[in-house]
Amino acid sequence: MEFKLEAHRIVSISLGKIYNSRVQRGGIKLHKNLLVSLVLRSARQVYLSDPCPGLYLAGPAGTPAPPPQQPGEPAAGPPAGWGEPPPPAARAAWPEPERPAVPDAPWVGGAEPTATVTGAADAPQGRAADAAEAAWGRVEGPREAAARGAGSPAGGSDAFPEAPQAARRPCACPSGGEDRRGAAAASPGADRRCAPPPSADESPAPPAVCPRKRGAAGVGGGPAGCPAPGSTPLKKPRRNLEEQPGREEDDGAEEMETGNVANLISIFGSSFSGLLRKSSGGGREEEEGEESGPEAAEPGQICCDKPVLRDMNPWSTAIVAF
Amino acid sequence: VQNSKLMFSQNFEADIISTVEFNYSGDLLATGDKGGRVVIFQREQENKSRPHSRGEYNVYSTFQSHEPEFDYLKSLEIEEKINKIRWLPQQNAAHFLLSTNDKTIKLWKISERDKRAEGYNLKDEDGRLRDPFRITALRVPILKPMDLMVEASPRRIFANAHTYHINSISVNSDHETYLSADDLRINLWHLEITDRSFNIVDMKPANMEELAEVITAAEFHPHQCNVLVYSSSKGTVRLCDMRSSALCDRHSKFFEEPEDPSSRSFFSEIISSISDVKFSHSGRYMMTRDYLSVKVWDLNMESRPVETHQVHEYLRSKLCSLYENDCIFDKFECCWNGSDSAIMTGSYNNFFRMFDRNARRDVTLEASRENSKPRASLKPRKVCTGGKRKKDEISVDSLDFNKKILHTAWHPLENIIAVAATNNLYIFQDKVN
Repeated sequence: MEFKLEAHRIVSISLGKIYNSRVQRGGIKLHKNLLVSLVLRSARQVYLSDPCPGLYLAGPAGTPAPPPQQPGEPAAGPPAGWGEPPPPAARAAWPEPERPAVPDAPWVGGAEPTATVTGAADAPQGRAADAAEAAWGRVEGPREAAARGAGSPAGGSDAFPEAPQAARRPCACPSGGEDRRGAAAASPGADRRCAPPPSADESPAPPAVCPRKRGAAGVGGGPAGCPAPGSTPLKKPRRNLEEQPGREEDDGAEEMETGNVANLISIFGSSFSGLLRKSSGGGREEEEGEESGPEAAEPGQICCDKPVLRDMNPWSTAIVAF
Repeated sequence: VQNSKLMFSQNFEADIISTVEFNYSGDLLATGDKGGRVVIFQREQENKSRPHSRGEYNVYSTFQSHEPEFDYLKSLEIEEKINKIRWLPQQNAAHFLLSTNDKTIKLWKISERDKRAEGYNLKDEDGRLRDPFRITALRVPILKPMDLMVEASPRRIFANAHTYHINSISVNSDHETYLSADDLRINLWHLEITDRSFNIVDMKPANMEELAEVITAAEFHPHQCNVLVYSSSKGTVRLCDMRSSALCDRHSKFFEEPEDPSSRSFFSEIISSISDVKFSHSGRYMMTRDYLSVKVWDLNMESRPVETHQVHEYLRSKLCSLYENDCIFDKFECCWNGSDSAIMTGSYNNFFRMFDRNARRDVTLEASRENSKPRASLKPRKVCTGGKRKKDEISVDSLDFNKKILHTAWHPLENIIAVAATNNLYIFQDKVN
């Protein structure tokens, strides 16, 4: 339990640093804020994985209770064939990637309740989630529909707000050390980035392959490739003179993209109190009114931290978006 | 090591030294500070009338390199702090250096003037213009000696090429090009051309929310003009060959030491972030500095460093406090001596560490006024890590974390070192030779 306290404290400190970075002279320092966001994520992992005895939430009615894995384990991965969620039994069958005891944050945090068992098609929360989803819309469409289907395993890998990180996280291509840009698998443990194969942008993600399995095809693989479904659409190497269509900078001077800070702060403002309060069993109450409704029954999360945890996801996504 | 010279300044924040660099001959030492100023020291020539002054460094030139700016489009203030200074090899009587802040690089020419012309026709000695109709005879101006004046003038301004904060500049061995690196991109410049640069490394993800890694330092190989390295916040170094493609996103070599899973903590990523990378003078090795250690790498072996030196391992148990007070984000630099037999880096409490690679010895020294009298020897220091504190040892909890030595430089040929301790510059010489 003391890990939880420590993690809690570190999360508070980290958020304070991010908040203060807004007023620093010289603009927001990308490097420092990236490091702070990594600490934030590590602390959150520990915070969530430190077991509260007896507080695992049973699955909502109609869904079998998640097997005793890491909380929020989106074990299901992408639904096979895009059309149907894998049977719940498949959850336990997914092999763990080379993950240490501490679960990777996005999986854990990724019990982000977009895919609720009840099928409520609630939008992913957080502006960051929207941005991520928008970026993925094309790729994610069928999966999203599938994930929202009834009976989708809880929490799924279809953790949209965490999608960019989540999907890529398990892709620890062993030989994929080649640093194709944009394949950032930011998991603390992973020391390789997964390179999205050049062809992976439009094609549907590998249908039945667990995203967390090491891609047999390694870096360049096609359908069986490492990149999880929903990995970012192709990021073309940026040439001096070629501009990627739709890039934010097309309209002129490139932004440092610190607009997310404003959203971060607004989220911060409303949710900070909940973060500090050591909730048990109930999570936060009134402040979360608008968000707690459909997600109240989300499975696969430590219930005592449910709303706090939910709010931390858009934070970390937004933070990284510096 | 004896103390040769001590430079003092008032304790204002603008005076905090932010970069230190010897030129190629070692006769000049440039410092940049947080206020955007550059101060250049010159080594005194041997002078029989002042025998003790040989080897002393005195102020040679001071100029304001960068001013604070405001980017109105992005509502961002641009700090004037000098992040890096790099000298160009000397080609004529003048000296050239590059200095950079977060956004703009400037090429400065430092030249001496010890003569001046007298006897102009159109103006008199005060400089006032003469009435042309009053001039009845022409004369040829003659040159007369004057007191030495050192002038610094900006010759090139390389601007508007970086969206993020510049952390490194490095002059190529071809003496015609140089690179500048920010958090996500590395640009290649020609020293003569200011209105365009080539982007050779781009680590920006299409979706910034996926950002996982930034560039922390970059340097050209000292001899191979097509080779450069850059380090990342993930503790990796990539070596790129510019001949292989125009865009060096694909590295030729990738240096990373596997993480020790047993030492994992919340702060593992932060302390593995590399704050400095430096090629050895020979070009065969490179050195990286992360928060707790310096590592020497053989360019032919990517899997692990050939040497790892602990700088202040006793801080490992204090990482949480250091995170709270932001010290964990301090970016320490490191440097080689001229023969690559020793390396040096800074620490806290105004301590700095030297590692003798051949003798496998290391020493901790302190840069402080109290302990350094001119021509006195520096006494090795020791940090007590636990148990009973011996006399002259200092305990970890007594370390002053505000006194940090981030910037050090080693003379390229002799055993002279420059150590920047906040706003003071210390120069030490080894008089044994």
